[in-house]
Amino acid sequence: MNKLFTIALMLGLTGCSLFASKVEAGTNINGTVESRCTVNTDTSGYYGNPNAYTLTTLPASAGQVPVIRIDTSLANAYKAQISYPTSFSSSPSLGDTVVWTGTVAVDQTSSSDMSGYQAASTTADGGAMRIYPLSIAGATWFSVASVATYGGGQQKAFPGGSYTAVVIAECVAQ
Amino acid sequence: MTPTYPKWQTSMIDGVHKTTMEMFNKRQDVKWYEIGVFDEEWNPIPFVTSYKVIQLDYLNHVKFDVYITSNNKDKAEYICSLSKLRGNRNNKPMIASKICSRFK
Repeated sequence: MNKLFTIALMLGLTGCSLFASKVEAGTNINGTVESRCTVNTDTSGYYGNPNAYTLTTLPASAGQVPVIRIDTSLANAYKAQISYPTSFSSSPSLGDTVVWTGTVAVDQTSSSDMSGYQAASTTADGGAMRIYPLSIAGATWFSVASVATYGGGQQKAFPGGSYTAVVIAECVAQ
Repeated sequence: MTPTYPKWQTSMIDGVHKTTMEMFNKRQDVKWYEIGVFDEEWNPIPFVTSYKVIQLDYLNHVKFDVYITSNNKDKAEYICSLSKLRGNRNNKPMIASKICSRFK
């Protein structure tokens, strides 16, 4: 009788321990956080044409400055590289020189800790590209102003037609 | 593009390594992305994938494998997706986006 009781007790304890390990396995919730970067067009820009020889995104000249939003989920994983245009991607045939100028600036940030981004940025590609180390996780909005002047300083009129230029927003792993 | 820091793995073919990438489209104005592999100086490196230009609808994910010869494995520094912009006839500057992961 005692033997039977001992066997029953052992089986009971084993069952309990199996049951307990099952419950423990069922409570695990695993997850990983992967750093990532996304680029969004917040505001599509367009050129205004304040005079015959200038195309500009400045609102005072009926243009619109494009705004790009870049989100990063982990700090110090990416750098943003934003370039203003230095050529047209499509335009009528142009026989004279186009002079390009522009600026890239931090427009807004999701955290006040990012207020130093503009000061910490550097330039490349003759100043057309601005590089921002994204040292804090969150969202940053960049505005890109662009001005194209035709005639190489001679103020010649742009030929009539449609003009498109491309702003490049890059997010590169550091 | 994830992972941020991918690793090459041996593939089923001798002398060929592969890595698996995932891409997410957060741009409503873009449906096509081109994949590229580059060295440290941003020179292109030959690679093979199912499609070099991938169609990806807004807020959709796609997983794809990238294959490279073992000789080029150590030269590859970046793997990037570049948005493909459709031409339009408005006088609008368009925004091209490029997101790059890095082999470390």
